[in-house]
Amino acid sequence: MSKKKKQGTNLLYDMIAEASAYDDVIVMGRGDPDFDTPAHIVDAAKDAMVNHHADYSPPEGLLALREAIAERVKRVNNIDVDADTEVVVTNGGQEALFLMVVAANGPGDEMIVPEPNYTTYADSLAFAGGVKVEVQAFAENDFRADPADVRAAVSDESRSLLLVSPNNPAANVISPEDMREMLGIAIEHDLIVLADDIYDLFVYDDFEHLSPASLPGGKERTLTLNALSKAYSMTGWRLGWIVGPADLMARVRELKAAISGGTSVISQYAGIAALTGPQDAVEMMAEAYRRRRRLVLDALDEMGMAYGVPQGGQFVFADISFTGLDSGELAQRILSEQHVLAYPGSAFSKDRKDYLRMTFLQPEEKLREGLERMKVAMADIMAERQ
Amino acid sequence: MTSKTKRDVLEKHRDNANLNAPSPAQVMFSQNDLGADGLIRPLDERIIAATVEALESGQTHYVDVPGIAPLRDAVADYLREFSGAAYEQGNIVITAGMQESRFLTIQMIGAQFDSIGVPEAVHPGARKALGTRARKVATLPVDASAGYLSSVESVDAAVAGGCRLLFLESPSRLSGAVYSGEQVAAIGEIVNEKDGAVIWDQGLAPWVDGDYASLAAQDGEAARVATIGEAFPGMGLASWFIGFIAAPEAWVAPMQSQKQIQSICTSTASQYGALEASQLFGAARGQQLASLRQIRSRLSQLASEGDLDVLRGAAANIIALRMESGSEAALATLRAAGYEATDGAFFGAPDVVRLNVTNTTADALRALV
Repeated sequence: MSKKKKQGTNLLYDMIAEASAYDDVIVMGRGDPDFDTPAHIVDAAKDAMVNHHADYSPPEGLLALREAIAERVKRVNNIDVDADTEVVVTNGGQEALFLMVVAANGPGDEMIVPEPNYTTYADSLAFAGGVKVEVQAFAENDFRADPADVRAAVSDESRSLLLVSPNNPAANVISPEDMREMLGIAIEHDLIVLADDIYDLFVYDDFEHLSPASLPGGKERTLTLNALSKAYSMTGWRLGWIVGPADLMARVRELKAAISGGTSVISQYAGIAALTGPQDAVEMMAEAYRRRRRLVLDALDEMGMAYGVPQGGQFVFADISFTGLDSGELAQRILSEQHVLAYPGSAFSKDRKDYLRMTFLQPEEKLREGLERMKVAMADIMAERQ
Repeated sequence: MTSKTKRDVLEKHRDNANLNAPSPAQVMFSQNDLGADGLIRPLDERIIAATVEALESGQTHYVDVPGIAPLRDAVADYLREFSGAAYEQGNIVITAGMQESRFLTIQMIGAQFDSIGVPEAVHPGARKALGTRARKVATLPVDASAGYLSSVESVDAAVAGGCRLLFLESPSRLSGAVYSGEQVAAIGEIVNEKDGAVIWDQGLAPWVDGDYASLAAQDGEAARVATIGEAFPGMGLASWFIGFIAAPEAWVAPMQSQKQIQSICTSTASQYGALEASQLFGAARGQQLASLRQIRSRLSQLASEGDLDVLRGAAANIIALRMESGSEAALATLRAAGYEATDGAFFGAPDVVRLNVTNTTADALRALV
């Protein structure tokens, strides 16, 4: 009997487990920044343990944190929200994502998804009983999803449109022109927009991030998620949020109460410190990612890999079709032979087995070492092909 | 804006009674709030120190989806020692609180069965979890005289009727009533015979005054029982949202996948806090239980003197009263006196009021007499 190939989350589990067994592993897979959480945020958590450890927090989160989030989305994203009724705090961006998808979609509803995309969107939609309608984008166009393709994907069953910018794993940023057109399609066809802004502070070169909820006609039909994980290196704290119109947010709140009830107050107080305290650590990290991105792209050029230029985010999605290997096999060989963990494109979509996602979330020296090892693996693979 | 899509979404939402079920707060608003699921407790300095040490040493990143290994070990040890259930690390999933435990078990184990049997009186969190995705539900009648537990006969009838998955609380989250050893054995036999399964909420078990029988500890039952609860309750971690699921490994896999999908992992601060709490729990629980037992005994006497009808309950941390005039009038009286209590109607028992057992509960009872 042939063993069924693992895909998606299960494939990644196996690779993460194998990687953890190597003492010298260099992880360029998981979206977990290598920086530790800034000290003033840890200090705020300590203070919360002493002074606020038993504070009551409703499912939607502490009001002080919701106010800080409202101020942040106004300042960064130009979205006006009422902290009382239009913000829900979540267990990280992941819970925000799950809640957002389940809130907007039910059995048989279609969600239009520019691909490639983060697998959890499909998993969450499957939980809700919805149907994913894919709009494909490719490296040669820097993974730009064409609004005309989105328009063509709309049907009578369409309920929502997913807009992730910067995208994970493709790292493209939806241009302001395209964003306006996408929102126009959503308004014309009465779709709920699900916007994932989690990488909004990491945009490179002259690219510009625009939140659909900030546009005329956008806010009343858009749920926007974000989290502190990537910007403040707080992945372990599990703190994120959704903002949106009060009527939809009332549903999000009930779903949050049903799924996990609430969010740790210690993380919430840490989150208040992150959003209202000094922001120099965020700027330092963004600068580091800019340098590392250049490092990775130069190495990929040397290896002869094509890629969509990462316009934002913390990773690059590279075309490995020239190797003749499926991305799962390639990632496995790089891991087993060189102890470097990169994620296969097939973990993101069955149609992306010609791609590899590499993050630049390692110190530069380690990143260099990882890229050198990848070059060795690639040279071996190409030599075998000759 | 006129949006048919939004209107449809919101209409379906409004019609979803399970999802919209009101629920008690997780943590007390104040000392006079006797209605929350979790109590305000002092936090041991050693828990703070251990958590801060973990955070300062860089434990601020993602950890394994089912939880950090030493905490999973600690939960398995606790369940083995406390209730005799043979769980190991591989059986444990650490959750972002009791509600996530309910949600993951009800939805992911529930997906493997045609229907789920749920007592008529149950914590509303179970109904809310059911409301997130349609499930066929069989309602198990409850016996008010038995503290609103479903009788063994009700369980038997549901299973005989083809409902092979049950959600049961022991102690009841409403009254604190528990199934006796004989009843637990009988439920085990019924479920075994029909190849059924049980999600068993024993979150209030640490506060049982006397012997406690856990279904997973019955011979042959560990393979068909998922045990859920708060991780080390009473240690001041109620607002840190940390819970557990203990289940056969075949059930852990889909719950772990879903946990990855919905939250990736549980807060590291909460996990390291709970890990330290696991070391202190044994001694702290003994002291707390002795204190709660004493207070509850006085409350029972006070209630009896005031002709209040105290429901049968073994958990010393709550006391539930059956009010002939219904819960609303009693809650209004309590509110006028400055106290909050849990409305039994939330649980499906509109003639019951639940109060936490604290040093202020006696004054609240006096207001009702």
